[in-house]
Amino acid sequence: MNFVVPPARIGRPFITLLRYNRRFWKAYAFGLALATFFSLVNLAMPMVLGHMVDLFNSRALNRPMLTAYCGALIGLGVITGIARYFERTLIIGASRRFEFDLRNDYFLAVQSQSREFFTRTPTGEILARASNDIAYVRELIGPGMMGTVDMLRLPFTLAVMVYYSAHLTLVACMPLPLVSILVYLFISYINKQSQKVQDQFGVVTTRVQENLAGARVVQAYGIGDVETAAFAKESEIYMREGVKLSVVMSFAWPVIGMMVGAVMLLVVWRGGDMVLNGEYITRLKWTADGIGFTSVKFTLGDFTAFLACLLLLAWPLAEFGWVMTLYQRGAVSMKRIAEYMAHIPDIRDTEKTDFSIANVKGSIEFVDVSLRYDGRTALKNVSFKVEAGETIAIVGATGSGKTSIVSLLTREYDPSEGTVQIDGTDARTIPLQTLRGSIAYVPQDTFLFSDTIRANLTFGRPDADQAETDHAADVAQLTETIDSFPERYETLLGERGVNLSGGQKQRLAIARAVVLDAPILVLDDALSSVDTHTEELILQRLKSVMAQRTSIIISHRVSTVRHADQILLLENGEIVERGTHDELIARGGHYAEMHERQLLEEELETTA
Amino acid sequence: MSAGFHMEDEAHQKAYDAKLMRRLMGYVKPYTAWFSVAVVLLFVASIIGNFTPLIVMKAIDTHVNNPVRMEKELSIRNAPTTDRAALAELEELKRQDRRGLFNLMMLICLMMLAESVFRYVQMIVVAWIGQKTMFEMRMKIFSHLQNMSLRFLDKNPLGRLMTRVTNDVEKVQATIVAGVEQTISDMFTIVVVVIFMLWTNWQIAAIVLSTIPFVFITGVIFRKFARKSYLEVRRKVARLNAYMQEMVSGMRVVQVFRQEARCFGQFREINAEHRDEWFRQIRNFAIYYPIVDFLGTLALTLIIFYHGWDVLGRQASGENMVQVGLFFAYLQWAERLYGPIRALTDRYNVLLEAMASSERIFTLLDTPEDIPNKPNGVKPKALQGRVEFRDVWFGYDAEHPVLKGINLTIEPGERIAIVGHTGAGKTTFINLLGRFYDIQRGSILVDGVDVRDYDKTELRRRIGIVLQDVFLFSGSIKSNISLNSPGITDETIRECAAHVNAAPFIESLPEQYEFAVGERGGNLSTGQRQLLAFARALAHDPQILILDEATSSVDTATEALIQDAILKLMDERTSIVIAHRLSTVQHADRIVVMHHGEIREVGTHQELLAHRGLYYTLYRLQYKDQSEAA
Ligand SMILES: Nc1ncnc2c1ncn2[C@@H]1O[C@H](COP(=O)(O)OP(=O)(O)OP(=O)(O)O)[C@@H](O)[C@H]1O
Ligand SMILES: Nc1ncnc2c1ncn2[C@@H]1O[C@H](COP(=O)(O)OP(=O)(O)OP(=O)(O)O)[C@@H](O)[C@H]1O
Ligand SMILES: [Mg+2]
Ligand SMILES: [Mg+2]
Repeated sequence: MNFVVPPARIGRPFITLLRYNRRFWKAYAFGLALATFFSLVNLAMPMVLGHMVDLFNSRALNRPMLTAYCGALIGLGVITGIARYFERTLIIGASRRFEFDLRNDYFLAVQSQSREFFTRTPTGEILARASNDIAYVRELIGPGMMGTVDMLRLPFTLAVMVYYSAHLTLVACMPLPLVSILVYLFISYINKQSQKVQDQFGVVTTRVQENLAGARVVQAYGIGDVETAAFAKESEIYMREGVKLSVVMSFAWPVIGMMVGAVMLLVVWRGGDMVLNGEYITRLKWTADGIGFTSVKFTLGDFTAFLACLLLLAWPLAEFGWVMTLYQRGAVSMKRIAEYMAHIPDIRDTEKTDFSIANVKGSIEFVDVSLRYDGRTALKNVSFKVEAGETIAIVGATGSGKTSIVSLLTREYDPSEGTVQIDGTDARTIPLQTLRGSIAYVPQDTFLFSDTIRANLTFGRPDADQAETDHAADVAQLTETIDSFPERYETLLGERGVNLSGGQKQRLAIARAVVLDAPILVLDDALSSVDTHTEELILQRLKSVMAQRTSIIISHRVSTVRHADQILLLENGEIVERGTHDELIARGGHYAEMHERQLLEEELETTA
Repeated sequence: MSAGFHMEDEAHQKAYDAKLMRRLMGYVKPYTAWFSVAVVLLFVASIIGNFTPLIVMKAIDTHVNNPVRMEKELSIRNAPTTDRAALAELEELKRQDRRGLFNLMMLICLMMLAESVFRYVQMIVVAWIGQKTMFEMRMKIFSHLQNMSLRFLDKNPLGRLMTRVTNDVEKVQATIVAGVEQTISDMFTIVVVVIFMLWTNWQIAAIVLSTIPFVFITGVIFRKFARKSYLEVRRKVARLNAYMQEMVSGMRVVQVFRQEARCFGQFREINAEHRDEWFRQIRNFAIYYPIVDFLGTLALTLIIFYHGWDVLGRQASGENMVQVGLFFAYLQWAERLYGPIRALTDRYNVLLEAMASSERIFTLLDTPEDIPNKPNGVKPKALQGRVEFRDVWFGYDAEHPVLKGINLTIEPGERIAIVGHTGAGKTTFINLLGRFYDIQRGSILVDGVDVRDYDKTELRRRIGIVLQDVFLFSGSIKSNISLNSPGITDETIRECAAHVNAAPFIESLPEQYEFAVGERGGNLSTGQRQLLAFARALAHDPQILILDEATSSVDTATEALIQDAILKLMDERTSIVIAHRLSTVQHADRIVVMHHGEIREVGTHQELLAHRGLYYTLYRLQYKDQSEAA
């Protein structure tokens, strides 16, 4: 179940949490009921005590009665224990289920983000939120909720205290206003400081992530110490902010401690006086003719019960500071998580999507397409058309916008202006899954997963059978490589395929695309890391694959693109030349120059 | 995704490992003084805190419930009298009790204030030590990771290593310092409470204490179940992180191949395992806590019962009234006793969790650098650039050699090109030169010194490598070229960018050299990234330059320009170029043809063509293609 956080609610974590946890209301309600129940049971204890003391003092208590009272107390203890068991399993259990859901939804939310998001957001930050922040939110819901439920005793206990003496209760509450002010200040500071600490944790995580990801460079340049120094700087900030947070968080302790002390003091002092003076108080009384008020003497027994009530309160009060901290920290974390969950990907299926489109034939047309990244122009008024089954090649200098054209086709980005049409309809109306499912893409940068060769090869089509897998491997000239590994297809790769050579990785990426039975094939500089001999073999085999598909080939080599039905030459995001190989040679433009240069190099080599 | 290629993430540990603990405490050692201050503060706070019940007791039993006064009151009530003296006496008694009560209350107030302040200061000190040690531990892991070999890094998922530096350290810190300090003080508190209790009334004390063994027995049983769960939880957390990290890195592929649903399914599964592990743990806790609470209630009831029984007995002989104050003191002490005992077990659990984390951390820290630096390794000021491979055998795992008996000598200033099929071992060859892996047989000499005798960092600094897989850091273009190495000026950066023909594109950017490069260079084109990596190598002014497919993604016109520049730049220095495009290797003094991990042919372009071997075949293929194109 994917829970959607509306962007407007990022800043209101508690509402998000409430809505999120609605599905567990039964567990919480039941837990709450249990807590209420044993709060009441617990309250019986001071009352019984008070009663006993009074009986003592009036010498009306005997040993069998005492035994009975004590038996009752133990019975109450057992009942409380059982209630506690269920309360804990229910509430903490729900919090773990909530955590599970939240983490899943977070993953889904991250997964639905587009390239734009990932370019902007450090991986470390995404990970920090997945680990630390989710844990903090869980603590708010689990232990936080338990603590809150514990505090439920407060009203009940207060009620009993009022019963014994409203006057004394008022006295006990005297320090409250001061405490509320302190708590308010305390909460707002904790909130602010938690934000700082958690943000910094994200920075630290990002640093580690980048450093490890770039370990090869770090080692090759021997900059480990530079990196360590930079990391030390961030860690130190994290440490400092953490200490600051602790200083304030711990402050809850003396404040609450003082409060409990002050209350105790006031109560014993004033209550003691009341007993001493033999003061009369008004008390609710059940009589034969209904409920009424009577005036009774405040006895030592009453005083005992009142004090016992206070003792019962001490623990929830001491917990109060801790629970507040959990709440603030959890709220900050929820905000941080919601920030990503509420982020609506700029590329998604919208109302305009026509879900009746189930497949794509493969004709592609760019109509006056421009693309800007953060205001930087990458493509300007690009228009071209490829019929289904045709092959189009794109050449051009580094950074001229070749890959950008492909990203528009796969809808990793949407054009800033103009439209990309597939089968004559705007690509934006085609369901994203259908669109991407119809493109077999070999990206310029190979990414492999730490899984078996087979899992990587059939990544896009896990149901591919052995024959199809073998065929794809053969087209990509991978068969020999695979055979050279003892475990063949089941060979496990490291992260990003570290245990393969550059060319092996790239060929696996080719096979991964070939095994897809898609109408459009895109090769983005897909042979840059393979040797010429292998390149030749792959191109030969690809011919038959390409014959049935619309193909887009990006390359720097004339030899790779010359057979294309159409060649586009890009320069600074604009198409400056287009036509077949022969037409372009005849035109004597940049393409012809490029061809000339590559030929010349060969000449040079033979005549050198 | 799968654990097979990666090292197992197992930790086999005892529940409480004294050695581990000692080692953890080693981190606190530099703060012994502060730590002792914290412990002392806590001691004092605890003693003061345990005095308060005693005072409350005195307040109630000698003032509120003053037996002398009560007796008088009772007798007056029973036999109302108008005797002024008697009434005045009672009033006087009341007045005294009131004053006494007030004084005692003021004392309690002061003591509570003192206790709170001591506790507060102590908490801050402990938090500070905790953060400090965490910082140090984090730095230690981080710098240790800087020295780990590529072999190690290959075998450990990034997400897992990250978990060590971030979450695991967090877990350890949260508990160790605070935990140990509180444990010390809790034990102390227990002793103090017991003494207070015994001193006040040893019979009641004995009753309260009789329940304690049960608490411990419960704890022991509970622990047995909890321990395994904790270890599992830590493992599951690391797995979650590792999976998430890989997915985020490869999200582009996942999306383009629209495998979102499947990947989510896998994630969900790991997530569910994590949840279920916790469910098991919850049950343990849910049983344990109520039992301890119940034992507390039992202790209280026993006090009431005993005390009641006793008083009733004495009441029968007309002697005494109930001592409410004493009773309250015991209630408070019981709480103060049960609190720490409960906390001790609690903390023990958290400690277990921390132990699970710290074991992982120490396992990492104990993993020796498998590429160790020789003590007093040679730190060359400059290299001449003579490289010699002598019968080098190497395999990523020993049974499957990738390089088989490589012999090659490269003279200072020579330009060497290495060609060969993919997977032939070219990248491996240069990895060995920078000593990223240690060879199994033979030796590699740079300037006549075995690479194993160099300080590896110093050696690597003198060798500039453009890796086949380009990696850019997030940061400015400038910092990506200079890598923040001291001594690389803006001037140098500009020059190098110009040499590799990256200057035009950089200067077209709005912020130019300050342009913020995204993670892994995500907001640059692949070719542009490669140019920056190239510029980076040049900026570090290496004596040996290694280019592993350094221009494979760059257009041919730019490539030609770069080559001219490099030719001039590297005139005096050794360079090793790996390339598939034979046009790229044409300027080489010698070409090395590698095949299946062996050197098949060495010679100049012409010699090799004349030889009509492997090179000739490779060349002819390309040439044929080109002439066909013509
Ligand atoms: N880190 C590694 N761990 C295990 N095996 C590896 C590792 N790196 C490479 N190999 C294996 O070693 C062999 C040689 O790889 P190497 O990277 O040296 O090839 P190469 O000549 O550079 O090829 P290419 O031209 O494709 O880059 C390959 O079979 C590869 O699978
Ligand atoms: N994700 C991105 N965010 C921002 N800018 C980008 C992004 N991708 C590319 N660019 C910029 O857009 C321009 C075109 O990049 P593109 O990747 O399309 O070039 P290319 O023709 O594929 O180059 P190459 O031959 O090097 O792969 C470049 O200047 C690049 O810096
Ligand atoms: Mg590109
Ligand atoms: Mg290689």
